[in-house]
Amino acid sequence: MGSMLRGIFSVGFGYSMLRVTTPILFAALGAVISERAGVVNIGLEGIMLISGVSGVLFSAWTGSAWLGLLGALLMSILFALFMGYFHIKLGTDIILAGIALNVIASGGTVFVLYVASGDRGISSSLASKVMPTISLPVISRIPVLGPIISGHNVLTYFALLAVIAVWYFMYKTPVGLRLRAVGESPDSAASVGISVDRMRFLALGISGLLAGFGGAHLSMGYVSWFSRDMTAGRGFIGLAASALGGVHPIGTAIASLFFGFADALSNYMQSLSIPSEFVQMIPYLATLLGLGIFARQQMAKSQKGRKQAKEVA
Amino acid sequence: MKRIGLVLVLLVLFSAMASAAPLKVALLINGTLGDRSFFDSAYDGVVAAEKELGINFKLVEMGYDQSVWDPTLADIAEQDYDVIILGTWQMTESLEEIAPWNPDKKFIIFDTSVDYSKGNLDNVYSIEYKQNEGSFLAGALAAMVTNSQMPLANSGKAIGFLGGMDIPVINDFLVGYIEGALYIEPQVKVDISYIGSFDDSAKGKEMALAQYNRGVDIGFNVAGQAGLGQLDAAKDANRYAIGVDSDQALLFETTDPVKADLIVTSMLKRIDNSLVRALKMHIEGTLPYGEAEALGLAEEAVGLADNAYYQKLISPEFRAELEKLAEKIQKGEIQVSSALGMPAQELNALRDSVRP
Repeated sequence: MGSMLRGIFSVGFGYSMLRVTTPILFAALGAVISERAGVVNIGLEGIMLISGVSGVLFSAWTGSAWLGLLGALLMSILFALFMGYFHIKLGTDIILAGIALNVIASGGTVFVLYVASGDRGISSSLASKVMPTISLPVISRIPVLGPIISGHNVLTYFALLAVIAVWYFMYKTPVGLRLRAVGESPDSAASVGISVDRMRFLALGISGLLAGFGGAHLSMGYVSWFSRDMTAGRGFIGLAASALGGVHPIGTAIASLFFGFADALSNYMQSLSIPSEFVQMIPYLATLLGLGIFARQQMAKSQKGRKQAKEVA
Repeated sequence: MKRIGLVLVLLVLFSAMASAAPLKVALLINGTLGDRSFFDSAYDGVVAAEKELGINFKLVEMGYDQSVWDPTLADIAEQDYDVIILGTWQMTESLEEIAPWNPDKKFIIFDTSVDYSKGNLDNVYSIEYKQNEGSFLAGALAAMVTNSQMPLANSGKAIGFLGGMDIPVINDFLVGYIEGALYIEPQVKVDISYIGSFDDSAKGKEMALAQYNRGVDIGFNVAGQAGLGQLDAAKDANRYAIGVDSDQALLFETTDPVKADLIVTSMLKRIDNSLVRALKMHIEGTLPYGEAEALGLAEEAVGLADNAYYQKLISPEFRAELEKLAEKIQKGEIQVSSALGMPAQELNALRDSVRP
């Protein structure tokens, strides 16, 4: 037990938690923005995979991590809009379109990798680049907190900035207001002259961009290669984090950190004599627990609302 | 006219004889080539057999969609191949069903065994690998490294094991690894983590980093693609790693030499050697169909990768000692336990005894 506590209260654990959280947070923000526009982006997982392989390929071809990131983001936006075209213009069910995208991504990324490198499992034969890590000037010198917050991959800081950016965009800009209006009630939004389709394309595009950051972090920051199905469900955990966070950027960030904590905990708790299957269950148990608490709160809120409505009547 | 007919008949006869001579082999891969590991090794084995033994072979990549595996195997079994090679435990059940329908065909299945008690499997030869023997050497090496004055070794006696899942095959590696390490250093501690996945290399990296943070200075990954995360972690933490199945240092030789320099060796499963051996015995008529064989160090079916990194990083004394250990295992002077069939309590006791 003592060794576990030492493990959790170590600097390494805090650092690990932020790193584990990064891809989940990006995916979760992507889920928030599309959901607010009334489109459930089930395809986050696939977009992250596409971004992961694109980042590796573009950075290997150009020799620059930043150009690799740019390529990854462009491909992610492209595929998100592609899915949007099927849903918005052709009327495909968004859930089906999302599942289709995930399936295409799972096989397609391996195919592209094979064409580009001759490998079908892992891209280690490509000299792909990794995004730089950043040491924060003043903060890095603070004891304990410094080593936890400083020295992360640049994309981890992007993720934290993205929380503020998404919040600002959705709640402080006119476009954000329209986007939310479209999600809340598409008919009313259309009646005041907002183009529902255009707003949804915009939301999916931004959602793809954010998921793209998450995928690029996996293959160009977390590890230094792309491997088959490397997202391992992080896109779906992002969807759960968005739901748990009340589809609000700040709440979602907290939920993502909670998942990151649970995941990092399961990594550190392996050294105890607890069956490993139980430890591996922790992140999922945390998800269930979180969603349960969230649902209870929602129910309490709506009951309160009903009571108030009765009193008024 | 008659003469032409005679020539034709002779030609047909001749060609029939010529085509009857080489052994026709089908290699069924339930996945794709390019995994730089298991399946590629099987393919290398069949290619080597083509060169050495003059067989003819056809490669069938079945992909990762499990629903096509069964029908593909049934199809291939009905065609005119003499020997059909396939592998992994996922294929055992379909083979148990299909082999009895095709009693005139021979089947070789690697890295698992069919259940011969079901009967009617006299045409199936199963190859299992004594991964515990190879892992014994890996564990002995890890203990030597952690005790040594090597530049990245620390003063502690903790070594790492990163498994894919808590399942018998993976634990067979673990048991050998622990016993090998204890043989060299009775005080050794083994930090054990299971990723719970064979794909998630990011999680593999995270767990390996947690181990290195806890004072592990060399780790052994047995988790397929997910285990490769450990090699990334080794680079971040600047510690040593031991690869598995294929020579993992070669994966990064050209693209990331710093990482390759930390991979002291890999515990190889030589699917290629075992298939060449099996095909050779088939041609000689000595392959024991209807049985499972466990191949180990003696058959060169498992062993440590002796590459440039091993030569460079590991001192000649250590290498000589490992060679002696390998000999002792082959002679039966050292008996390595196996997790296959080991009761859970015994396995837990072993794991607990070395817990840091």
